[in-house]
Formats: sequence, C-alpha cells, structure tokens
Amino acid sequence: MSNLPTAPETLADYVSGNLWLFFAIATAAIMGYLTLNALFLIWLERKISAHIQRRLGPMEVGWHGVLQTVADMLKLLSKQLVTPRAIDKPLYHLAPVVVFAPVIASVAMFPFAEDLVILDIELSLAYVFVFGGIGIIGIFMAGWGSNNKYALLGAMRSVAQNISYEIPLILSALSVVLLVSGLEPVIINDNDQLRPASGISLIDIAIVQDAKGWWFVLVQPVAALIYFIAAVAETNRAPFDIPEAESELVAGFHTEYSGMRFAMFFFAEYTNMIIVSMVATVLFFGGWSGPLLPGPVWFFGKTYLLIGGMMWFRWTFPRLRFDQLMSFCWTVLIPLSIVNLLVTALVLELL
Amino acid sequence: MITAGLLMAVTFAAALLAVTLRNVLHAIFGLAVALLGIAGIFITLGSPFVAAMEVLVYVGGISVAMVFAVMLSTVVARQDEGGRRRVWAGLAALGFFAAMALVITRADFGPDSDPSEQAWAVAEIGGDLLTHYNVVFEALSLVLLIAIVGAVAISRREAAASGSARLEPGAIDPDGTGKSDVESEQRGQDA
Repeated sequence: MSNLPTAPETLADYVSGNLWLFFAIATAAIMGYLTLNALFLIWLERKISAHIQRRLGPMEVGWHGVLQTVADMLKLLSKQLVTPRAIDKPLYHLAPVVVFAPVIASVAMFPFAEDLVILDIELSLAYVFVFGGIGIIGIFMAGWGSNNKYALLGAMRSVAQNISYEIPLILSALSVVLLVSGLEPVIINDNDQLRPASGISLIDIAIVQDAKGWWFVLVQPVAALIYFIAAVAETNRAPFDIPEAESELVAGFHTEYSGMRFAMFFFAEYTNMIIVSMVATVLFFGGWSGPLLPGPVWFFGKTYLLIGGMMWFRWTFPRLRFDQLMSFCWTVLIPLSIVNLLVTALVLELL
Repeated sequence: MITAGLLMAVTFAAALLAVTLRNVLHAIFGLAVALLGIAGIFITLGSPFVAAMEVLVYVGGISVAMVFAVMLSTVVARQDEGGRRRVWAGLAALGFFAAMALVITRADFGPDSDPSEQAWAVAEIGGDLLTHYNVVFEALSLVLLIAIVGAVAISRREAAASGSARLEPGAIDPDGTGKSDVESEQRGQDA
C-alpha cells in the first residue's frame, strides 16, 4: 500500500474548502507567473530570432537586453487606448477578456510536480481543450467587433485554422488516453482510497509514466509529432501564422487594438504556447518525472525546451499559404492521427 | 443551490438575448453564453463530463460554425418578421416547450438517474453509448451525415446557379471588390 503512487494534495486541500481564499491565491499566483512568463518568452523569442538571423537582438536594457520587455510593457501600459468609432462596442471590449480568461483557468490544472498542483479535477485534460475552444470565440469577437476587413479576414482564417487543427490535436491526445487505460492499470492511492489511473486526468497521466519509468513519446512518436505540429498551428504561430500574416493582413484580428488591449492578446498568445507545451510535457514526456532533480525543474525544463523548439520552428520555416495549411490538416494530419489511434487500439487489444 | 439558481438566471437571460437581439451575431454570442450556463448547470448536477462536452461541442463547435456561416453571408441585421410570423414562432416555441416538458416529466429515468459520481463516470457513459444505446448513437451520427451531405448539395447548386466561384474565407482579394467590403459597409450602418 505504501509504495503505490499517491494522488497529490492540492491547493484546494491546503486552504481546506475556503473557496475565496483559494480563488485569490490561485489567481494571483497564476497571473504573476503568466506575466513573468510572457515577459521572459518575448525576450527569449527576440533573442532566438536574432541569433538565427545572425543579429544580436535587444542589447541595451539590462544584461543582454533582458529587461527590454519590462520596458516595453511599461510603454504599453502608458499608451493611449485608441478606440475606433465604428466598432461593435460590446464585442470589441469583451474580446480581450474572452481570449484571456480561459487561459488562466487552464494553467491551474497542470501538475508541476507530484505534490504541486493547484486544482485537481478528474477531467483536466478534457477541460484544457474546452477552455481552448472558448478562446476561439474571443478571436471572432475581436475580428468582428473591430469592423475592419483585415481584422475580419484574420479572425476567419484563425478560426478556420483553429477548429481544423483541434481535431488532430485531440485525436493524438486520445492515443495517450487509450494507452493509460489500455496498459496494465496503475493503481493510485487517492486519500487512502485506491483507484485505477484515469486517462483524462493530467495528473494521472504523469503518475502513470512516473510509475512505469518510461515516457509515452517512446511508444507514441507519431502522436507526439502530430500533436506538436497541431499545437504550433493552434497557437497561430509561424509557419502557421496566417491569421496575422503581416504582409497581407496588417496584424489580423487584433489590428484595431492598441496599448494594453493589444498586450492582452499578445499575453494570451504566449500563454497559449506555454499551455500547449505543458500538455505535451504531461502527455508525451512524463510531466515532472526524471532522475535526481526535483519535479518542477524537470517539468518546466521540458516545457521551455519544447517552447524553444516552437521558436526554432518559427524562425526557420517560411509561412504556408492558407489553402496549403488547410489541405495539410485535412489530407495528412487528420487521416494520420485516425490511423494512429486505430493502430494504438488494435495493439492494446492484441497485447 | 444559490449557484444553480444564479446559473439558471444567467442561462435564461442569455437565451432571451439570443432570441430578441436584432444583430444575428450578437444573438449567437447570447446563445453561446446560454450554452455555457447550461454547462454550469450540468456541473452543479454533478456531471463535469457532460459539461465539458457541452462546451466543447456546442460553444467551441456549433456556435463557432454558426458565426462562421453568418460572416460568410451578407445579411447580418435581421429584418422585422412582422406580427403574424412572430405569433406563429411563439406558438411553435410554446408547443415545443410543452412537448419536451411532457416527455421529461413522464419519462422513467430508472435508478441510475441519481446524480452520484458512478452513474456519470466517463467509462460508464462510453460503455453505455457503445452497447445499450448503440442504435440511437449510430442513428444520430447518420442524421449528422445527412445534414452535411445536404449542406454540400445545397451550396453546390447555389454555386452553380450563380455561376461564379465564391470567395474563399481566407482568400486574398486582389482588386479589393470582394464581399468583405460589402460586409463591412453593412456592418457600419448596423453599428
């Protein structure tokens, strides 16, 4: 009994049912982390892109320009908010909130270590995708509310791309779900109640890989690759950054947003990057599991390594054309992910 | 109990917005809020899974598809339907409500209707869908297939009738005379 993997205590357990305290601590912690993360990632992106193009990038503010994004943020905070006159007011003003709020909720569900998780709900993997879906509506509201043809075209491209690439994304995640429930079940000690690991809980997926001692990427390399490609597309990043292709659409759906409103979209983009990388870390790379170093080091190390990969991706490949993007999804990724899912099910059944 | 009441109030208000607002897009966003409210009600009833699917399918899928369809068309502000049509629409809605209420109150949900965790567990739902409710499940997917084929058939006929290739959603419009201009003009008047 003692050597069974145990379900973690959560922040909800520590504050023992005091919901307001829980919300206050959780929101403050997540917002603080996300702000720091966005500041760091934007700096990192500028540095990586600069070095790929044999430039230096920001060098003036702080050591190797590390405080550049802090200065940028202060500038954005003090900027005038320009509001176009012909906008659709409710949609225009609500859009940044609708894009940003679900993202906060998603981060709360990730297990950063075996005993470090804010919110443990059974269906956390499903809910990460659910919150991702709500953000799409926010993009629509921004594109429509701006009453600008570039914003509208950007929003339509973004949504077409998002709902298409969500399918291979979820299908490749499903192969891991199958794996968790199809392999020899791992029993988890949850508050002295024994239960088999559930495939739709992020924590359980990480626990299973930790207990088995190997990562799912070893048996699901195809799913991992599909997931990574679809995740880059989901975050609207190059080579899939067609929604805000600056040479054709100005800035896509957030063309008409200035100052901090624009910063909200920018924040959401970098936070989405971290969310899809965290999901990949949990699904394919064992979450916090790893030798010697403590769990959070492994978790964040893997996550930021994946983000580094996404940035490398962005500054190496040219942008796709819209029809190439859609046909790649529907004729390559989706059939491949369905075949992968079927093969996984078949192999698990025959084992 | 308070949470459930609040959620019902939000759902009802959003549903009212969805049927009363003139701007079709606002109406769809009202519908999305109503669907989110329904998902919340499912959570208070002890079924996070159904809530997740509600949001994933209806908010993230259906509403988005509806917005997409509206954006591709040019009519955004609803015309006044006129009194008689409103009466008929109201009667149809009331009739539908009465029929649904009758079915739900008369139905025997069996012992599993207790909102305990086991009855709503994902594995349970999956197993039931593929065994006990297999026929219903497959029939529903057939309905969806027919709807898709029908939509394709209608749009093909319309495209053939108009005789011109339609502007793709993301296509570049080189001479700037595409429908996006028309749309933004119309919306300008609407706003």
